[in-house]
Amino acid sequence: MSVEYGKSILLHGRLVFLANEQKSYFGNNPWKGDDTMKTCESPMITVRNLHKRFGQNEVLRGIDLTVCPGEVVVIIGPSGSGKSTALRCINRLEEITSGKVVVDGHDLYDPATDINYVRTEAGMVFQQFNLFPHMSVLDNVTLGPIRVRRTSRAEANRLGLALLEKVGLADKATAYPDQLSGGQKQRVAIARSLAMQPKVLLFDEPTSALDPELVGEVLEVMRALALEGMTMVIVTHEMGFAREVADRVIFIDQGRIQEEGPPDEFFGAPKNPRLREFLSRVHHA
Amino acid sequence: MALDFKASVMWESVPLLLGGVHLTIIITLGGLAIGFLVGTATGLAKTARGKLPRTLADIYVEAIRGTPLIVQVMFLYFGLPLAIGMRIPPVTAGIVAIAVNSGAYIAEIVRGAVESIDVGQTEAGRSIGLTRMQTMLHVVWPQAFRRMIPPLGNQFIISLKDTSLLVVIGVGELTRQGQEIIAVNFRAFEVWLTVAVMYLVMTLSIARVLRVYERRLNARFGR
Repeated sequence: MSVEYGKSILLHGRLVFLANEQKSYFGNNPWKGDDTMKTCESPMITVRNLHKRFGQNEVLRGIDLTVCPGEVVVIIGPSGSGKSTALRCINRLEEITSGKVVVDGHDLYDPATDINYVRTEAGMVFQQFNLFPHMSVLDNVTLGPIRVRRTSRAEANRLGLALLEKVGLADKATAYPDQLSGGQKQRVAIARSLAMQPKVLLFDEPTSALDPELVGEVLEVMRALALEGMTMVIVTHEMGFAREVADRVIFIDQGRIQEEGPPDEFFGAPKNPRLREFLSRVHHA
Repeated sequence: MALDFKASVMWESVPLLLGGVHLTIIITLGGLAIGFLVGTATGLAKTARGKLPRTLADIYVEAIRGTPLIVQVMFLYFGLPLAIGMRIPPVTAGIVAIAVNSGAYIAEIVRGAVESIDVGQTEAGRSIGLTRMQTMLHVVWPQAFRRMIPPLGNQFIISLKDTSLLVVIGVGELTRQGQEIIAVNFRAFEVWLTVAVMYLVMTLSIARVLRVYERRLNARFGR
């Protein structure tokens, strides 16, 4: 997915100009999947030989992953495959059993690393939204900047309202989460993550808990973010979205990456038999 | 021998009994204020990562919940001074006893409420870069506190009634006042009835305020 300089798109009736220096990492050469590891000069995320065990159950059995700046990586797989666990290892919501996880140059398991700081760089959007019900929508968004970055309330409100505008919910700033629909809640959650100005966004099945008619509004926001050059790692079942927006799609099954590649190849000519079976079972656009 | 009921005894004893009520309320409020601080610290210690705070908290809670309050009161007033060589005034001992006792039960209330908050809340808080303390302070505690109100109100009522046990160490609270009046006029029926009614007025008032507060809190969160 290549992006030209100075392109603009219409989003929610406003012109959004795409970041000038964010060109697709591929340029004219689409990445070829298979055994060759993705390489880039300074990867945003590096995962090496990640193993994760819950008691006796080894959920992740050696995951190797590299995510480059500006890349949109989509992870799909059957339930129980470990894909959400893998994602949650990236911001250390899950403790790994062994392996290495490096985010923006910070080794997550180096004692010198401030995990709270790393988490401001890698934002997460949850399947269950996890908005703070005792605070207004705007307060949900500004809590991070105010408490972590020590931004003034006025400045944080300004930033927060701009982000709510971006996701199309500026008019809901004073509402409370339980007054919103699922799609609105998730968009607020995305705004909340964006308020910390992260370098990468992690999405854990962001639309799985939504009624079908609300899925589109969330995917639209995610698509816009991708076009702006945000680095994203998304665990999802939305194949149509993956096909359209992903730079690379990864199939995890039984704790291992079974196949990865650019969407056309991945969906058009899957090599791994389990992937083929999985795709045939899932109806996708 | 039939009882000849004299209602006038009831009205006449009220002023004296009110003196007792005064002390009852002071001891309850003082004891609970300290008990709440102790209970919160202990309850949070029970959710801590380290083994030491958890173990200490467990010992304290189990010891208090497993022994009768009257034994705790007498230990504090009669036993402890012998060990430390210092006399403790009865009212002080009463407040401390209520504090230590309610603290243990409040610890469980706090722990239960905090643990009942969905883990996703903590995860979301940590994911935006909040520290454990900030997440507790801004995300978890405000939600947990709301859930604590009913059981805390219940503890208020319990501790208020518990103050009646302080009669054994001579604190001039409501029950003791009743005892002293009966020692003079022997009208046990009327006086104990009055004492009971006065306790009832206090506990029902607390229950009433609690219901109103709960309703207002729920309305604000649009539930």
